[in-house]
Amino acid sequence: MHPTIRLIVRNLTISINPGFLVWQVIFPVIYIFVAGFAYTALIKSVPFGNITLDYPAFIASGMIGFNIMNSTLVSGIIIWNDRRHGMFEQILVGPFTRTNYILSNVYTIGIVGIISAALITAIGFPLFFTSVQFNALTIPFLIFASITGSILFGSIASIISTRLRSSEGFNVIINTVFLFFAFVSTAFYPASGAPQPLATAFYLNPLTYLVDIIRAGIFGTFTEFVMIEMIVLVSIAVALFIVAIRLLTKLDL
Amino acid sequence: MSAITARSLHKSYGTITAMDGIDLDVRSGHIFGFLGPNGAGKSTTIKILTTLIPPTSGTVEVLGINAVKHPLEIRKRIGVVLQQPSYEPNLSVEKSLEKYGMMWDIDRKIRKERSEELIDVFDLNEIRKRKNEDLSIGQRRRVQVAREFMHEMDLLFLDEPTVGLDPTARRKLLDYLKSKVKTGLTIFYTTHVLTEAEYLCDEIAVINKGKILAVDSPNNLKNTFGQEKTITIHLLERHDGLSGLLSGISDCIIDFNTGTNITIQSSKSEAVLSQILQILIENNISVEDLSAMPTTLEDIFLKMVKDSNAPNN
Repeated sequence: MHPTIRLIVRNLTISINPGFLVWQVIFPVIYIFVAGFAYTALIKSVPFGNITLDYPAFIASGMIGFNIMNSTLVSGIIIWNDRRHGMFEQILVGPFTRTNYILSNVYTIGIVGIISAALITAIGFPLFFTSVQFNALTIPFLIFASITGSILFGSIASIISTRLRSSEGFNVIINTVFLFFAFVSTAFYPASGAPQPLATAFYLNPLTYLVDIIRAGIFGTFTEFVMIEMIVLVSIAVALFIVAIRLLTKLDL
Repeated sequence: MSAITARSLHKSYGTITAMDGIDLDVRSGHIFGFLGPNGAGKSTTIKILTTLIPPTSGTVEVLGINAVKHPLEIRKRIGVVLQQPSYEPNLSVEKSLEKYGMMWDIDRKIRKERSEELIDVFDLNEIRKRKNEDLSIGQRRRVQVAREFMHEMDLLFLDEPTVGLDPTARRKLLDYLKSKVKTGLTIFYTTHVLTEAEYLCDEIAVINKGKILAVDSPNNLKNTFGQEKTITIHLLERHDGLSGLLSGISDCIIDFNTGTNITIQSSKSEAVLSQILQILIENNISVEDLSAMPTTLEDIFLKMVKDSNAPNN
C-alpha cells in the first residue's frame, strides 16, 4: 500500500469516532428538521435566483456547505493532535515524507468532505426534492463544491493548527473563526433582506460562495454570478492551500 | 561493519552550537549508549541520525546510506522511540499496535501475531482495551516502545525509553533489548540511568556541550577514568581521632566523616586499605564494616561532565 494511503487510513481511523459522527450527522439534522420547520412560520419562502424555495429546502441545501466546512475541522484537529501528542515527529521518522503527510491530510479532508456532502444531501433530499432541478451539471457542481470547499476550509484549519500549540488557544480560535463563517453567510438565511452591512459581510465569506454553488447545482440556477463565485472560491482555496502547505513544510521539529 | 558513521558533525541554531564536531562509529549488532547531561546535544544528535533534521556541516551515514541525500531509505530501515511521548489519544492499546503495524505496511496476519506477542512481552494484557489517553505515563511509554517492534528494522534508536517505567518493567525491557541484539539488531540508546547503560551497553559515548568526551566499553571507561576506589569505614563507636591518624597515609583523601562513618577516596586502594587496617588494629578501634568499592560509571560520568564544565574547558 502506498505510504500516503496508509496515512489516510490512519487519519480516518483516528478521526472517525462517535463524537465526530454525532457532530457531523445529528447537528445538521437538528438544523434541517427542527430549525428548518420551526422557522417556516417566520420565513415562508426564500427567493433564490429565478426560483423561490421554501425555507426547509433552503436550509437543507445550506447545511451541505456548512457540513463540508465543519468536516474540514478534521484536518486541523489531526495536525494539531499529531503535534501535541508527538505523532508528527514519529511519522516523520517513519517510512514517510512530509509530502506523504501533507497529501494524506488533503485527501482525508476531501474524502470526509465528499462523504459529509453526500450524507447531508441524502438526509436533506426529502425536503428539497420538489425543487430539485437535476441536470448534467448537478453532480459535477456538488463534487466541485465538496472538493474546493474542503481544500479551502481544510487549509484554514491547517494554518490555525500549525500556529497554535495550546488546546485552549486552538479551540477558541478555530471555533470563533468557524462560527463566524457559519453564521455570517447565506447557509442559514438569504442575503436579500439582511441589513446592507451584513449582506456585504456575507459576501466576504467563502462559505456563502460555497452554498451558492451547491444551491445552483441542486436547484439548477446557474448564472454568471455563480460562475464568478466559483472562480473566487477556487482562487481563495488555491491561495490558502499554498500558505498551508508552506507552513506545514516549515513546521519545526 | 558500522551501523552509524558520523564525521565532524556540527549543528547550530543561530548563535547556539548544539553539536560541535561529533565523530561516531557504532558497530552493527551492538548496543551503543549515548550519555550526557540535559542539553548536552543528545536529542539533536538523534534527530540528525534519524534524518529529522540535517546537520549544519559534517557527514553522516546510517546503515551505509548518506543521511542527508537519502533520508527515506534510512527511515525505512530504522525504528525510533523519541524522548517525548507519541500516541494516538483515542486509540486503545491493541489498536495502537495494530495501526502502527499498518502504517509500516505489515501484513494483517503478521500484525495480529506480532501485537499479541508484544502485548505479552510488555505486560499490556490488562490494559489492552484501554485508550492511550487513559494510561499512566509508564504504561504509555511501554506501549510506545512495544509499538516500535511491530516492524522489522536493522537499527533502533531509543531516547530514554525507560522514563516512567517501574524497576520490573525496566529490567524486562532491557532483557528484551538484549535478546533482540542477539538476532542482529543494533541499538542506539540514551539514558540518564547509568546502571542501565552499564548493564546494557557494549560501548558508551559521553557527550557534553555538543562534544564527545569519551567513547569506550563500560569496563574500559572505568579502567581508564576510574582508578580511584571509595573506601568506607563504619566504626562501632565514635572515634574523633581517627581522621587525624588516617591523614598520615599518602593518597588517602577523606571525603566524609561523621565520627562513626568515614568515606575515603584513593587511587592506591590496596595499599591504603592495609595501612588503614594496621592503624585500626594498633589503636584497638572496633569496626562494624570496612569495604572498598570500585568507581561506578555514574562517578566517572559525573567527573567527566564536571571537568568538561570547568572554566578552562
